[in-house]
Amino acid sequence: MTDLGALDYIWLGILAVFQGPEAFSLLGVSVSITVMMVAFGLVLGIVVGATPGLGGVIAMAISLPILISIFGFSSDALLPVMGFLIGVMKGSTVGGAVPAILFNTPGTPDAFMTTLDGYPMAKSGKARKALKISHFSSVTGDTFSDIVLIICAPFLAILVEAYLDLPEKTALLILSLSFIAAVVGESAAKGLLSCGLGLLAVYIGTGEDFYPRLSFGSAALSDGIPITAAIIGVLVIGAIFAELENLWHQKRHTGAIEVAKDEGDQRLHWADIRRILPYIGRSAVIGTTIGALPGVGSTLAATIGYATGRRYHAKNKKPGDPEFGQGASEGIAATEAANSSVSGANLIPVLSLGIPGNTAAVFLILAAESIGGFNPGPAVFKFSSDLNPELVIAFGLFTTMILANLLNWTVGGVFMRSLGALVRIPKQYLLPVVLLLTLASLYVEETSISAIWFAFGFGILGYFMMRFAISPLPFVIGFILGGRIEDTARQAFSATGGDPLFLLKSPISAAFILCAFAVIFLSLRKPKADKT
Amino acid sequence: MRKLPATTALGLGCIVFALVLAFVWIPLDTETWFVERKRGRYIVGDSLAPTLAAGFILMAGLMLLFERRISDYHPSRHNLAFIGAISIFGIVSILLMRWAGPFSASLAGEEYRLLRDTAPWKYIGFGIGGGTMIFCMISFVEQRITWRALWVALAAVIGIIVLYDLPFDDVLLPPNGDV
Repeated sequence: MTDLGALDYIWLGILAVFQGPEAFSLLGVSVSITVMMVAFGLVLGIVVGATPGLGGVIAMAISLPILISIFGFSSDALLPVMGFLIGVMKGSTVGGAVPAILFNTPGTPDAFMTTLDGYPMAKSGKARKALKISHFSSVTGDTFSDIVLIICAPFLAILVEAYLDLPEKTALLILSLSFIAAVVGESAAKGLLSCGLGLLAVYIGTGEDFYPRLSFGSAALSDGIPITAAIIGVLVIGAIFAELENLWHQKRHTGAIEVAKDEGDQRLHWADIRRILPYIGRSAVIGTTIGALPGVGSTLAATIGYATGRRYHAKNKKPGDPEFGQGASEGIAATEAANSSVSGANLIPVLSLGIPGNTAAVFLILAAESIGGFNPGPAVFKFSSDLNPELVIAFGLFTTMILANLLNWTVGGVFMRSLGALVRIPKQYLLPVVLLLTLASLYVEETSISAIWFAFGFGILGYFMMRFAISPLPFVIGFILGGRIEDTARQAFSATGGDPLFLLKSPISAAFILCAFAVIFLSLRKPKADKT
Repeated sequence: MRKLPATTALGLGCIVFALVLAFVWIPLDTETWFVERKRGRYIVGDSLAPTLAAGFILMAGLMLLFERRISDYHPSRHNLAFIGAISIFGIVSILLMRWAGPFSASLAGEEYRLLRDTAPWKYIGFGIGGGTMIFCMISFVEQRITWRALWVALAAVIGIIVLYDLPFDDVLLPPNGDV
């Protein structure tokens, strides 16, 4: 067998996407299942993003069990399933701007800032132009972020593998948890509480002893809490309850939604692009930098991108141009480029370190764990001369991202602009249906009614967390990383001959632990606004 | 008497829970301590990781007492009423989902386990339980009972059956996988 180099792996990854099992043939050209699934994911993502009350997370939660039922548990399933999820992730970011611009209703929380200039533009008859600007900015930011991911993730992984041993990896995981706890939400204490609850939940019924710990001797807890039930419960069902409650409080809004008719030139000219490019560039860098930090959400990126754009606009705008907040297309560009460029960079920690940075990454990890054959983390990027199938999958994933971006550039915008009607679906009907669909999907994956009970219970926990302004994201990430922290700590402890201070012996791990405490205590110093 | 801020109460609750977890639940419900000696080697026991979780919760509780904060978020009486009602709808629906099929089968003198992959028996639990869940939640949110809610519930249940049960032979709807 010939030795494999980096370029060979990249080429094998591309081939795995385009020359995988054939879905159908178009004019004599074979279209692979992975390509088809990326396209389906993108379309679904745009639809759910454009539907207020839904979003990429709900779509991923519902579709994952269906995809696993279709594709099974072989390693051939990895690229179609994960490609679909990547498509959903990218599509929902783009789709969220549709109701924000047309109806002043952000489809996703990230799109809130888009309403500030998008809706005034729509009201003044420039709805189609606003949608085009939003699409162009969003896809440009996303593409930039993906390029940074593709370049950075392998190098970061190689550095981690070269310099970090078991104690350092344990310390890095602890640092990640404390960082996520500190930066997500308005309070570090609440982040830490969320993280602690996630850790506690994952340790119930697990361990190495014959007796399943913390199970009260009950059969239901002795196998541990199913990861999908806990994550979907806290993240999806809790959010459905909170949204239903908002509707309950509002009772029902009646009356038709007014939409202004398009007037004047709706085309996106090169002059428009030249005008918004400086805003897109700034916001793409801001979003990518913020996205590379695990746990920091796209809403923060959108806020900073918008604020930076507003300062730049105040200095450089021509007389007569609208201000930010009064229908400035630059405001849409700054917001959309910032929140979209978070999504690619958010995958840097998950692919290079195995640490999920956002909810989309959580579902990619769930897919990888459910199917098997791919364990996101530094070990993936081993450029061995013998074939490393995980590395081929990693480059296959990068290829699916580029493919999703190409589809987004070409057909995504047209499709996005045709979805204005989705906002009219009454949420009070949609959300209970989505709840039942989520529970049914969960059952299909777990085949146990106790998983439904767990998910419902964790949904109530997620609801209460929201009411106490506790972000559920640290809970989820604590739940996912808890097992790995324990396993790595066990191995590190054994490898150091049972040294109780193994986390403090090497300078790197001691520095990580010190940073973990510093991050928490520094974040105590001043209250901050909600960041996710 | 001054009212205790909700965040302080949450902090105190966390401290109490963390202490109970560390000093009662973990010692009584775990087989090994932090470190165990096995075949001459020291290994990490099953208590260490949950104690780390208790440490996180304890630290969070202490920080909540001293952290400077902008607002004092907590569930209101309305929130509790809402989640109480939703919980009742959910619990009743899941119980119906689990037991409606076996109960109907027993009325017909059949054993449900043998019928769980046979129409129409296999749809009874999911149909009644799922339909009840959707209908009750829509009616509660709208604060009135309408035919429309019933049709939406029926259509959703049929749609989910079409989505999962018809295309896949090996997929079982709730509760047919574990009865």
